[in-house]
Amino acid sequence: MLDRSLLRNFDLLLMVAVLALCGIGIAMVYSATNTTIDLADYWERQLFFMLVGLAVLLAVAFFDYRHLELLAQPAYAGLVGSLLLVYLFGAVQGGSQRWIGVGGTLVQPTEAGKFLLIIFFAWYLSRFQEQLQRFGYLLAALFLLAVPLTFVYLQPDLGMAITFAFIGGVLILVSGIRLWHIAILGMGGLAALPFLAGTLQGYMVERLQTFLDPSSNRDASFNVLQALISIGNGSWLGKGWGHGSQNQLHFLRVRHTDFIFSVIAEELGFVGTILILLLLFFVIWRLVRIADMAQDQFGRLLTMGVASIIFFQTFVNVGMNLSIMPVTGLTLPFISYGGSSLISMLLAVGLAQSVVMRHRKMDFQ
Amino acid sequence: MFERSERTATLATAMVRLGLLAAFLLLAGRLYQLQILQSVTYQAQADANRFRFIEVAPPRGVIYDRNGEILARNRPSFVIAVVPAELSDDLIDTDVDEERLAIERILRALKADSDPEIALNLAEVMFLRLGRADFADVVTSAGVDLDYRLVTLQFVEKDGETERLVERPTLIPDLSKQLPLEGLVALVYRAVELGTQGSSFAAIPLLELVNRERAFDVAEEIFQLPGVKVQQIPVREYVHEELVSHTLGFLGPIPALAAEIYEAEGYRDPNEQVGLNGLEYTYQDELRGVPGQKYIEVDILGREMRTVGQVIEPLPGLNLRLSIDIRLQEVMYNALAATVEKVKSPHAVAIAMNPKTGAILGLVSLPSFDNNIFSEGIGPEYLALEADERKPLINYAIGGLYPPGSIFKLVTATAALAEGVIDPTSVIVDNGPIYLRNRFFPDDLSQAQKFVSWNHKLGIYHGRLTVVEALALSNDIFFYWLGGGFPDSLEGLGNERLAKWMNLFGYAGQTGIDLPGEVTSFPPDDQWKRINLAESWTTGDSYNMAIGQGYVLGTPLQVLVSTAAVANGGYVMKPQIVQEMIDAEGGLQWEFTPQVVRELPVSKSLLHYVQQGLWAVVNAPYGTAPNSRVAGVTVAGKTGTAEFCQWDPAIEDCAFRDKDDNLPFHAWYVAYAPFENPEIALVVFVYNGGEGSTVAAPVAQEVLNFYFNGPPPAEEDIQTATSE
Repeated sequence: MLDRSLLRNFDLLLMVAVLALCGIGIAMVYSATNTTIDLADYWERQLFFMLVGLAVLLAVAFFDYRHLELLAQPAYAGLVGSLLLVYLFGAVQGGSQRWIGVGGTLVQPTEAGKFLLIIFFAWYLSRFQEQLQRFGYLLAALFLLAVPLTFVYLQPDLGMAITFAFIGGVLILVSGIRLWHIAILGMGGLAALPFLAGTLQGYMVERLQTFLDPSSNRDASFNVLQALISIGNGSWLGKGWGHGSQNQLHFLRVRHTDFIFSVIAEELGFVGTILILLLLFFVIWRLVRIADMAQDQFGRLLTMGVASIIFFQTFVNVGMNLSIMPVTGLTLPFISYGGSSLISMLLAVGLAQSVVMRHRKMDFQ
Repeated sequence: MFERSERTATLATAMVRLGLLAAFLLLAGRLYQLQILQSVTYQAQADANRFRFIEVAPPRGVIYDRNGEILARNRPSFVIAVVPAELSDDLIDTDVDEERLAIERILRALKADSDPEIALNLAEVMFLRLGRADFADVVTSAGVDLDYRLVTLQFVEKDGETERLVERPTLIPDLSKQLPLEGLVALVYRAVELGTQGSSFAAIPLLELVNRERAFDVAEEIFQLPGVKVQQIPVREYVHEELVSHTLGFLGPIPALAAEIYEAEGYRDPNEQVGLNGLEYTYQDELRGVPGQKYIEVDILGREMRTVGQVIEPLPGLNLRLSIDIRLQEVMYNALAATVEKVKSPHAVAIAMNPKTGAILGLVSLPSFDNNIFSEGIGPEYLALEADERKPLINYAIGGLYPPGSIFKLVTATAALAEGVIDPTSVIVDNGPIYLRNRFFPDDLSQAQKFVSWNHKLGIYHGRLTVVEALALSNDIFFYWLGGGFPDSLEGLGNERLAKWMNLFGYAGQTGIDLPGEVTSFPPDDQWKRINLAESWTTGDSYNMAIGQGYVLGTPLQVLVSTAAVANGGYVMKPQIVQEMIDAEGGLQWEFTPQVVRELPVSKSLLHYVQQGLWAVVNAPYGTAPNSRVAGVTVAGKTGTAEFCQWDPAIEDCAFRDKDDNLPFHAWYVAYAPFENPEIALVVFVYNGGEGSTVAAPVAQEVLNFYFNGPPPAEEDIQTATSE
């Protein structure tokens, strides 16, 4: 009986949109990799990751998200703890210390950290919802956000630090705080900017420079330019799936992950990119709707967190492809190749499903 | 309180939706801008990325001798190269050391650490690519000791507007010593680094001219290594090596000084191999053919994916057919080389020509060189050639000016007959040296200038002589009279008329042969002497000029052309080597028609006496060159023994003087045959060779004998003949 009522509230439209995105993703990964011998089986792997992700999604959906409240504090402790471990003992790769060895393989704690952060903040902000209009509680929330953020920033991983800040900021904003508090924080933040600028790491400065002045680093701006050419080459209807010259002749680099949006733009054209954007924004819109319907503040914030991750990655990744954002390693949700990226995105959707399936208080009382 | 925060929360959710809408519109707007408004620009850029017009090099024309024997052809050769972009992976931030490791892996696979031949070849290719200074810098900064050699190099010095070549001693790295692997890795790394500044997809050659088997071996070994390519390129091969090298010339990359000229002529690859000397230079355009064009699609590595556009087929270069007979050339080469060896001469020339057409039958300039070494890179042979003080690259047949000595008497004799200074029966008496009184002290005989004939040293006076006898005996007194006259007896030709006939016979300017590097000569006259020596012309100068000494200079080819003019009855011909150009299908595209430069203003009947004189040189019992007679054919000739002064600043005197302080001689001989209807005219010149009759004439005899009688029977044949 319980199962049936749960299933009745399962957001099928959301699910259809997500599946469509995953399907398009596999097709585009195929198109982006089939001409490279080493990568030729990546579409099969992506299909496998999707199946695993869907299993995770369903498992999470049927799991009552409210149990997660119990995990909030350990989650935070775990997040800060693992970041501290990385800070002290982490492996250095490509100039930054982001990985930690677990049983012989390197794990990047910040991937899962996004979820831990959401769970903790959803709990904290819902638990102290009434006290939040007091400035002290707000400052406490900001402090709790600042601790893991600082560690990530020091790794250094600017992209992830901004992701953390964005998620935390969205959750704090939507949980309802006073307008003048926002004003004070905004001004405080602006005042702090010059000090933060001094702490930017070399590579961060380089990337910002490349973004602001493409001629300063020809090698890096090469791919940004190739992405623009690919997108513009697509025009209205695109060159056709598997027929994009920029993609097939490898002028576009990292095309199956960070720059897969450019592949879509070239092969499926303006119609294709708008369709993809519509699907992605439909998913986010649907998540926001779930947040509004949620039976409790925890579920609402949890879903908003999920929506903010998906929105942030979408916007930053597409923005990077379109040269309106600097180059970061953020992938395009559901579409970019990569097991951990795809599975964590589907897990995130599973969380939202868990919330929407239980949105009617009556069913459980 | 709570309600207010509730409101801000609802407000926040509304803001979120608005934000989403704004973000979507922003991205969609940007997409509209890129994909619709600017798509034409980007599509053009995408096309520029993938489409290339590439030139398809036509095969260079083959060069044949007159009998169809191949002299120059194209041979496939192999180049092993690296593509910088393929050395490391696809990431934007590539680790620098990764590239260095990849290079080291490749070099190890090529056995550059163990095989000295590979190591030397690699260092040489890198030397040519990086240049002297960079090469040395890179190797030494890699911690490898480098040996140097001192060589003299030519530099272009800019002096205001004018550019001139200066030679300066320079230290260059010694490439004959094997470099250790670290040094080689550093060099390739540097080349890759420089290579990526242009396009990181252009291949950088590592090893050149690896032979076919070696290339296949390497291809197998490096199959797994990324970034390595085996390319095939054609290389020019000269079948007969040093035998015809001055005539054929050689190829090399477009010289930096001439880069703009070639570019203006439509040469797109600055490293294209072009003819730098010889016929390869003169007929560069014809031999090269017309490059084809292909419109292709390439991937990011520049690999050709498919041909898209219409293809313009390359038009193969024209094949050249020369008048040179390689067998005759070989006989000339060997005979001359043997003589040079015997008399220890620094250089020598032999040229054979058809006097009626100007077609060159053989042309030898010694020392020679193997022109294949230019396509083999800077090996030890090249360095030896560069260091040779005799300058073997100069074609002395057209590039050296020498006093022709007595050979010039045929010019003087023709002039004197044509100008009416003498008639064929005029007699001049040689009864010893003649004295030219000093202009300012005509009565003081001790200040008079003494002129002797060669025979006076032997105690012989030739007595009464006609022009025919004088030519046969090469009597100098006779020709002094013709040139400068003799007081109260004969008015000589004088400077003006001697210079005029020297011009007529082709001693002025150039002969116009189809070879580069021909020097220009100026006939000496009064004006010339005033400008160059600030002195006026004297009768003594005319005396010397009449016997081909003094200020008279000519190239061996000019001497031959003047001889041919006598042989053919008064026609100065343009010498020519290439007779036909044939296209790839065998069709005749061009044929040389003999060109008469000018007809000498002398009647055939008068010229006949000069011919008679040359006949007598060989055939009269008193002639100077009876040793150039050839069985079965009548030969005419003229010997020359030309005094010369090679100024040596070290001793402040002329070099090669003999023990009696006499000046040294160049040995000359010209000949033609058959006398009645000449087919071949010949010049033999041996620098510092001595007597023309004993040194040069036997060479001519050997060549003429081969030309008319074929190769002498081999010794075995003689033995079998006698035993039977």
